[in-house]
Amino acid sequence: MSIEKFMRNAVTPWMTAYGEHSDIVMSTRIRLARNLTGYRFPIAFTEEEAMAVDRAVTGVLLDTMQSGYSYTKMSDLPALERQVLVEKHLISPQLATPDRHGAVLLSEDETISVMVNEEDHIRIQCIYPGLQLEDAYKQADQVDDYLEKELPYAFDEDFGYLTSCPSNTGTGMRASVMMHLPALTMTKQIDRIIPAISRLGIIVRGSYGEGSEAPGNVYQVSNQTTLGKTEQEILMDLENIASRLIGHERKSRELLLSKSRIALENRLFRSLGTISYARLLPSGEAARCLSDVRLGIDLGIIQDVDMSILNELMIFMQAGFLQQYASTELSQEERDIFRAKLFRERLNVEKPSPPTEINSEE
Amino acid sequence: MICENCKERPASITITQESVVGSLERHLCEKCAFQSQTFHFDPNQEPLSIQQFLSHWFSGSDPFQVQPQTRGESIEGPKCPSCGLTFPKFLDIGKFGCADCYDTFRGSLPQVFGKLHNGHSTHTGKVPVSFNELYAVKKKIEEIRVKMKEAVEAEHFEEAAALRDEANTLKEHLSLGGEEDDVN
Repeated sequence: MSIEKFMRNAVTPWMTAYGEHSDIVMSTRIRLARNLTGYRFPIAFTEEEAMAVDRAVTGVLLDTMQSGYSYTKMSDLPALERQVLVEKHLISPQLATPDRHGAVLLSEDETISVMVNEEDHIRIQCIYPGLQLEDAYKQADQVDDYLEKELPYAFDEDFGYLTSCPSNTGTGMRASVMMHLPALTMTKQIDRIIPAISRLGIIVRGSYGEGSEAPGNVYQVSNQTTLGKTEQEILMDLENIASRLIGHERKSRELLLSKSRIALENRLFRSLGTISYARLLPSGEAARCLSDVRLGIDLGIIQDVDMSILNELMIFMQAGFLQQYASTELSQEERDIFRAKLFRERLNVEKPSPPTEINSEE
Repeated sequence: MICENCKERPASITITQESVVGSLERHLCEKCAFQSQTFHFDPNQEPLSIQQFLSHWFSGSDPFQVQPQTRGESIEGPKCPSCGLTFPKFLDIGKFGCADCYDTFRGSLPQVFGKLHNGHSTHTGKVPVSFNELYAVKKKIEEIRVKMKEAVEAEHFEEAAALRDEANTLKEHLSLGGEEDDVN
């Protein structure tokens, strides 16, 4: 598959570097968990219940006038395509398990995804580029309002929206922002910041890996609690923390530049060299170099490379995408070869014709 | 040795997984090893799983629980009529089986939620209009009362009066349309 064709099919709006503070905040995501009355939760329901829930939700959404939703049943989708949807963050890994009658309704631009029969009957998810908590919530809320008019939700006067996991009960809302924090990581400040923030009901963790490891220095910051605060309060708290992190990151970047400019430039350009010329690129190294190159772009040290490179390649370097790009199953070493090839080609696409669609003013 | 995961290909890689419970060695083939190592982005992934959290809390590993003898007691309690879940089972799996579980375990839940949500156990956010208009109006009146009190304290008496009128209108609305419908 040519790189151009692959990218046309693979790039989704949230991967573009657009929106407020998009030099540091890569994307904003809102998820609402909802259940219908009269059917047990997916952990305990029968196949008949699963199908009835699916019919009810799908019926309502495909009926909307401005619909544009496309319906996909997980069991109809080959494993590789499911994996690609997971890697694109459009569905959760849990939904991708095909024996559970899961389905997804995706809006045309892939901004909204409604998962059916995941852990809860309904999971409404909106992903926007940059820091756009308010707008992303409005969008999700609108979908929720629409569904609520047609479907009887499981709701309790004391406990709010009833969900399968007690950690979601209440608003059922998880709001999160993905942040690229290389300077806070290099200066090790992040290790002190994470525990401090967690006391405020907000959690910070590495986005792609497990535990606190953050490949590509990309962190996910999200609300931990869903009871006792309104949606607006949760969003404000998160926005507040995100703004502080942005401020700290900016300050640390300036500090790095003023204290050790040559060392920093050396590191960033070496990373650019690696992803431009490597013939074998393991995922850990790829993530590290991408983060460096993106930092170089943000600081004006590296020019002529598009900002969205980090957002895109962090996604495309994963196993599912690589195999789709190669149109075949790949062994570990083959993946490293293809990853290197993908990176080289992606960097080359940029140079002759910079993207004209999004004219982000600096 | 054969791969523990697919049980097809020969195991060529040993992976040591470190977790809260301790470290675990797994012998896998290249393919399965890679899959277990790739970037699995899970937005829902909790640093400590709910199950672990609840079971640790309830199994008496809590240092504040000084009397280990209470652990022997049976705490079966009520069983959910719709899905059959019991409270100990709920703590074990960390998930509700259906909406009726909430009613079944209502008495014990504030404690559970308090632990999970920074001491909170009551919802204050969005209310679905279709759920119960009556309830929505009640919540609204409560909100107005809080605002009214704040206005009085700040000596904004005009604003307070306006809020009082708003609350009264809503109350009238309640007494007119509220009686006939109940939760059904």
